[in-house]
Amino acid sequence: MPRTNLVGIVCTLIALSLVQPAYAGEKFPEYPVHAAGDYAVTAEKEGLTIGLQPVEDLREQKTYFHTELTPKGFVPVFVVIQNGSSGHSFLFDKTGITYGESGSGGNAPDAHSKAGEATAVASLAALSFVGAVVAAKLMANATEVQQDILKKEVQSKTLSPGGSVHGFLYVPVQKKGPREKIHLRVPISRADTDETIVLDVVF
Amino acid sequence: MLQTRYWFLTSPLLCILFLPSLVVPASGQTTSPGDTKLTIKAVLVLTPEFCATESKKGDFWSGKETFQTGKAACSELEPALRGVFSNLTRVEAPPSSGEAQLVLLPRFVDVGATKTLGAFSDREMVVLLEWTLKDKSGKTVWIETVQGSAKHHMGNAFTYKKNRKMVVEDSVKDAAEQSAGKMSASPELRKLADGNSN
Repeated sequence: MPRTNLVGIVCTLIALSLVQPAYAGEKFPEYPVHAAGDYAVTAEKEGLTIGLQPVEDLREQKTYFHTELTPKGFVPVFVVIQNGSSGHSFLFDKTGITYGESGSGGNAPDAHSKAGEATAVASLAALSFVGAVVAAKLMANATEVQQDILKKEVQSKTLSPGGSVHGFLYVPVQKKGPREKIHLRVPISRADTDETIVLDVVF
Repeated sequence: MLQTRYWFLTSPLLCILFLPSLVVPASGQTTSPGDTKLTIKAVLVLTPEFCATESKKGDFWSGKETFQTGKAACSELEPALRGVFSNLTRVEAPPSSGEAQLVLLPRFVDVGATKTLGAFSDREMVVLLEWTLKDKSGKTVWIETVQGSAKHHMGNAFTYKKNRKMVVEDSVKDAAEQSAGKMSASPELRKLADGNSN
């Protein structure tokens, strides 16, 4: 009788090792991509257009990331940047992106005085490693969720004429209560000169 | 009658066997811009620090894992990029400005690897590799991030380490191949190469 139990246990273990775990088949849907100018929050400069869509609805976060990010202190913001110029290439380096709380007046950062702009820049924090931090904050065994967050993060890229880049930025926010307006600053440099174009957006 | 029956059986088999051999050379005849090497004297910088890059994932409860991505990259990148540039030299430190027409600087952005419970279930690894290419004056002329991925069985107590090594090597190899493809197809690098050849 004990031998039968042992055989049963071994068979069950073998069967379990062959069966894919339920979460292994999970699919993470891609967030829909539109033209940068079609988003509610946009900015345009010298042929470069940025469009933003903060994904604040928890059900939507659950759909696209299989987890709720706001209770963990992050809001995923979908970003699309398009190079609409006919002859210039631009270098988008995500390590240059900064964010911060927008001024109480609620003006667009472009309208700020130079002093105000400098203050805003000083208070902005780097966003480049936030994706990894978000992933690390998730349940350690939710490796598929962590990996999907990395895959969906926007990455540095050269924007050839007519080219675009898209992906998520994970912006730190308060875990509870209404969030303050966020000022996002995206510097993009021309590939042929040293000129840097800064796209400022508030949402 | 019997011969007719055999013909019905063999004709689809012959089609399956020989059709790809007819199609492959036909597609191979077309020359895309990516097929020709970039006439640039390029320097690939693989520092000892980069080659020693390790990514540690997991914790005490889920199990810590170390992925030796740098070691894999330092054996995969150079062969993959040889087909892209007319002249490629591997160095351990960035050269002083003016020595090379193009300096290739790779950097690991992040690494992700799933875990599975079953030994025969596939785990996926993703490697994000960022490239910064500088011209002879030291100015950045091209940036790109490639996402290499590979899948392998998780493995059991005996095969786990070997499988982990394989998934690292294959994902880095995929990233290296994608890097080569992106560099070959880049209009910015083609323009730079054309400027050098004129």
